[in-house]
Amino acid sequence: MKEGFRQAMAWLHTWAGLIFGWLLFAIFLTGTLAYFKDEISHWMQPEIPARSLSSEASLTLAQHYLEQHAAGASRWLIDLPDAREPGLSVRWQQAPATPGTRGQFTEKLLDPQTGAEVQGRDTRGGEFFYRFHFQLQMPYPWGRWLSTIAAMVMFVALISGIITHKKIFKDFFTFRPRKGQRSWLDGHNAVGVLVLPFHLMITYSSLVIFMTMVMPASILAAYKGDAEAFYDEVFPASNTPDMAGKPGQLAPLAPLLERASEQWSGGRTGSLTVNNPGDANASVILARDGADRVVHDFGSALTFNGVTGQLLSATPKQALPMAIAGSFYGLHMGHFAGPVLRWLYFICGLAGTAMIGTGLVIWLGKRQLKHAKSGVMPFELRLVEVLNIASMSGLMVAVAAVFWANRLLPVAMAGRADWEVNSFFIVWGLSVLHAMVRRGRAGWVEQLALAALLFCALPLLNALTTPYHLGVTLMQGDWTMAGFDLTCLGSGLFFAWAAWKMQRAGQAGVVTRPRAKSIMLEQEAH
Amino acid sequence: MKGKITALPVSYRLAVTSRVLAAVLGGYLVAALASVSLTMWLPLARGEAVVTGMMTSFLVYLVAVLWCFACRSAWQAWFGLIVPSVVLAAVAGLAYWLGH
Amino acid sequence: MFLALLLCYGGFTALCLSMDRHHAELLGRKPSARRRQGMKLSGWLLLALSLWAAVSSTGWGLGLVEWFAVLMLSALLLVLLMPYRPRLALALAGLSLLASPVAVFAKG
Repeated sequence: MKEGFRQAMAWLHTWAGLIFGWLLFAIFLTGTLAYFKDEISHWMQPEIPARSLSSEASLTLAQHYLEQHAAGASRWLIDLPDAREPGLSVRWQQAPATPGTRGQFTEKLLDPQTGAEVQGRDTRGGEFFYRFHFQLQMPYPWGRWLSTIAAMVMFVALISGIITHKKIFKDFFTFRPRKGQRSWLDGHNAVGVLVLPFHLMITYSSLVIFMTMVMPASILAAYKGDAEAFYDEVFPASNTPDMAGKPGQLAPLAPLLERASEQWSGGRTGSLTVNNPGDANASVILARDGADRVVHDFGSALTFNGVTGQLLSATPKQALPMAIAGSFYGLHMGHFAGPVLRWLYFICGLAGTAMIGTGLVIWLGKRQLKHAKSGVMPFELRLVEVLNIASMSGLMVAVAAVFWANRLLPVAMAGRADWEVNSFFIVWGLSVLHAMVRRGRAGWVEQLALAALLFCALPLLNALTTPYHLGVTLMQGDWTMAGFDLTCLGSGLFFAWAAWKMQRAGQAGVVTRPRAKSIMLEQEAH
Repeated sequence: MKGKITALPVSYRLAVTSRVLAAVLGGYLVAALASVSLTMWLPLARGEAVVTGMMTSFLVYLVAVLWCFACRSAWQAWFGLIVPSVVLAAVAGLAYWLGH
Repeated sequence: MFLALLLCYGGFTALCLSMDRHHAELLGRKPSARRRQGMKLSGWLLLALSLWAAVSSTGWGLGLVEWFAVLMLSALLLVLLMPYRPRLALALAGLSLLASPVAVFAKG
């Protein structure tokens, strides 16, 4: 650290990147998958048809269903179908939840055309990857804390990386393949610098998203310890009138959609919450569809009296700081993105994942050279190697395992959703064991080859286990199903290519001549 | 050749650990105090000031972390955090006291 | 978004050609001082035009997002294409510039 600012930043970048790299790789990969979580869910529940219909018709069907099946509930929640999520989902809360805790919900998926219950195979679908990338399968709130800490380290790594990269402008277009370690560094810089706006946005926004949890000091100071008051101010729609105790007939909900659209200058309703249906003071809260615009309006909701239809309150126009926070949230989520932009989000996410992955490979590669002659790797480098292999190629195999489990586990099996998730972790765990047992290059080649096999074979497995295979979906224009199959095929081919390259590099001779000087870059500090 | 892990002196390791602690814990303290100071002094509605303070805090945290590793010694790392902490605490405290 | 993409790709190629090393890689010789200046100017101009193209069709909010997305994608495409298919990389830039006026008229 005495060697100068840039050297210090290089040291920080290297070590912060290594320690949190494995976790961040997993977060970035699953987060990237989450951009297509609805599509993934559709593939994992192919029995549920994708049919779009008018919001009004769907809402009326939902209301009829809930009046029949959940008349005594204290709260109904209705998620209206949209372009990417064509399902009509209803939830209800039976007993009033004690304040501050989450009540028990029952959830049902309805056919938006008939209003009848739809039963797809029990699965978490794409939601698993979405939730994993910020909860990390840990109990609340520890996963969120860890992922937010990882985000802060990512931020430090990004900025220290920018500071360290002396020739950031000169080498802007530089990518020199087939030159060993030099190429890996060029690649790391390319996916880092060229996609920098995305990386900075995604990292800082993830901090903003959980800022009330990790940085509550301001809330406590300004509201003198009464955090509830802060939330009531920022999310005013959560204040709803209490039960009157007298019965009241809930008016039809569908006409409210038109009124909401007027208030929002054409904006769409995404979901409705009915509090105390059947009570005289029933209130209906309409929340705006997040896909309407880039800036997410957190509190944006309209509250109507459920019986009389009177508009009780409308959230005021967003203040600037809230709009800025909402922008971070909206940009991170990408709800507003249409198909083309969504693929661009996906590509940027993959670039971020690749940036982390190449960094991990470079970290080890540079130090491995020093031990190549002796042939024996010190324990700490061997540990890094095992973690590199398991956290990258092992993770890919685990992702494939989820999809394979989805198709192989019997549809009627109890707890199959949990077992799909278990497959993920079991396979990931096995990949760690495999990486420990096999020598470095063999570990990479075998796991990448397995990933290639599993992904390439997925469309085939789909064809063997369901009637919704490529032959059918391409003809019918079900681009979600077909797109998933084709993307898996493409990914499989990529992994096959990677395994082949790894294999060839091993055969050419692992010990490259000591070209240490040409690889010793300005950022070498240790 | 033995693993490099044993080749580094203990004093170096202590210095690094010290810097890391300063960055993680001290950095958080400075960021939180900066957040509170900003919130108390910004001429905005209460909720808006809170949101602004929280959003900016991460930039402060970043600078604090970079400082802890860029400065010349572990002592300097701590000193460079303690001084702003005291100042920010005073600034925030002043606003709090004025508020009543 | 498509017009913005075309202009971005063209702009980045121009900026790339304004650098001695890449000009030599792609066109076989180092650029003259005038060529260098011209490339730099036209590169930045094309990027600015692409921003206008993105924002004018979808407004500042979505337009800015689309512009950054297109910016990043075109840069990635150029940098990954150059070492493997340098002539294709250049050809695409030429095509983009030719196609741009067509895209403008197609927008209406």
